[in-house]
Amino acid sequence: MAELFVQQLVNWVTLGCIYALLAIGFSLIFGVLNVIHFSHGDVAMTSPFIALAAAQALAIAIGVSGPVWLTVATCIAVFAVGLIGVILDKVVIRRFRDAPAMMALVATVALGIVIRELIRHLYPQGSNPHAFPRLASGVALEIAGVQVGWFTLLVVSLTLVLVVLLFAFLRLTPLGLRIRAASEDRIVARMMGIRDTRVFRATFFVASAIGAIAGLLFASYAGVTRFDFGVMAGLLGFSAAVIGGLGSMPGAILGGLIIAGIEVLAQTFVPDGASYRLVFVFLLVIGVLLFRPEGLLGRPVMVKV
Amino acid sequence: MLELREVDTAYGPVPMLRGLSIKVQPGELVCLLGPNGAGKTTTFMTVCGVVRALRGKVDVMGRDMASLGTENLAALGVGLVPEGRRLFPSLTVQENLRLGYDAVSGRGPDFQPQLDKMCDLFPRIRERLRQAAGTLSGGEQAMVALARALIGEPKLVIMDEPSLGLSPKLIDEYFEITSEVHRRGTTILLIEQNAEMGLGIADRGYVLVKGRVAQEGPARELLSSKAAKSLYL
Repeated sequence: MAELFVQQLVNWVTLGCIYALLAIGFSLIFGVLNVIHFSHGDVAMTSPFIALAAAQALAIAIGVSGPVWLTVATCIAVFAVGLIGVILDKVVIRRFRDAPAMMALVATVALGIVIRELIRHLYPQGSNPHAFPRLASGVALEIAGVQVGWFTLLVVSLTLVLVVLLFAFLRLTPLGLRIRAASEDRIVARMMGIRDTRVFRATFFVASAIGAIAGLLFASYAGVTRFDFGVMAGLLGFSAAVIGGLGSMPGAILGGLIIAGIEVLAQTFVPDGASYRLVFVFLLVIGVLLFRPEGLLGRPVMVKV
Repeated sequence: MLELREVDTAYGPVPMLRGLSIKVQPGELVCLLGPNGAGKTTTFMTVCGVVRALRGKVDVMGRDMASLGTENLAALGVGLVPEGRRLFPSLTVQENLRLGYDAVSGRGPDFQPQLDKMCDLFPRIRERLRQAAGTLSGGEQAMVALARALIGEPKLVIMDEPSLGLSPKLIDEYFEITSEVHRRGTTILLIEQNAEMGLGIADRGYVLVKGRVAQEGPARELLSSKAAKSLYL
């Protein structure tokens, strides 16, 4: 029993961290731009494909492969996805900033479809699943008879480092201060000389790069990547952000852990739970929207009448 | 320093400013008065470039607002106090002041001495520096909003109904500080509904009615003018 508990705890923490990283991107973009970027999951899940392509390109160009070069390829992917986020903001999302929320929502859903179809058609054999390597392998330690892999430690430590860095960036840097100001009152931020275009560009880069890391971990956890993984990654990340409170960073982390917890509990204790895990997750999302629409750590929504 | 010439603005089909012309010369404290709905806040927003003029010209510090974004105003030396203070509520008082300082001085090295100056001018701020601005009382928020506009030592300060919601005692204190800032050489456009207080410290005034200047002149004359009183005072 103890073994089962520890094993599920390890699964919960690993998944929870990945979902939290996905949710942080949603929350950051919503908090600053007041736009629900529904294609964020698809943007995030381009990273495994870019990493695979970069690894192959490195192998062909300079004849190198192995863990170090895989790390280089993932770094290239993270940077490239950050840039993709910035470009998508410039080309598409910027135009819906002051439009009714429904327009931005439809536009970003459509953008997600475009991204998926582009991967499917442009990536070699894009319709098929592609094996994605574990970014860290081997057993790191053993707790109550359960082997905890280096991958789990990588996911947890990377998440902790990213969360700390993000908080430090937002709290301690001039750009972070401007991002927080623009997220509270865009008009007054402009009166304070803050160029919102720069703020949005930085926000998209950071959110998309964090999403890319989540995408790499997601594919690495699954051992495979598919062109349509972005749909599920997006839904789970968005749900985590909603449960925690859209716009709240601590809320995004909490939401990610809760969703992963429900998934793991369902798989462990409900007969055929793996098939029903998403039912429980989305029932919880509906429950939160009904009884606490602002999310667990979100600010109440005030409507001026 | 600031001039609006024959400016028209509208919110959708509803006209707001109709041929508005006002002027603020260097060193002046000019008070723009008017009842609710006269277009005072629209004037503030037009000067800031948030609302675009449909006709006419808005010049701020010699620059045409038609080609100058709101975000460039502060760097020209313009400090702004919007209606309702509009501090960034979850940012600390110090962070709000830092943004005000960076806006005008472009992240200069003298933030700490300027912060000390503001704390001397508004002693209540000092003990609140680390507190979230949204948790302050209305009076304290009003002081922080003014300090945020002043901390970069702007040449021109534009204030939109700063006395709104303040107690009579705080209004006295607020106008005393505004007058002191003006005496030190800062040009001020004070947009107000409190005519007695506004004109009491101003050099000149404009009375705005339905988006037009209905009367203008030296502040003392406006205070005693029967026509102005019949219009608004």
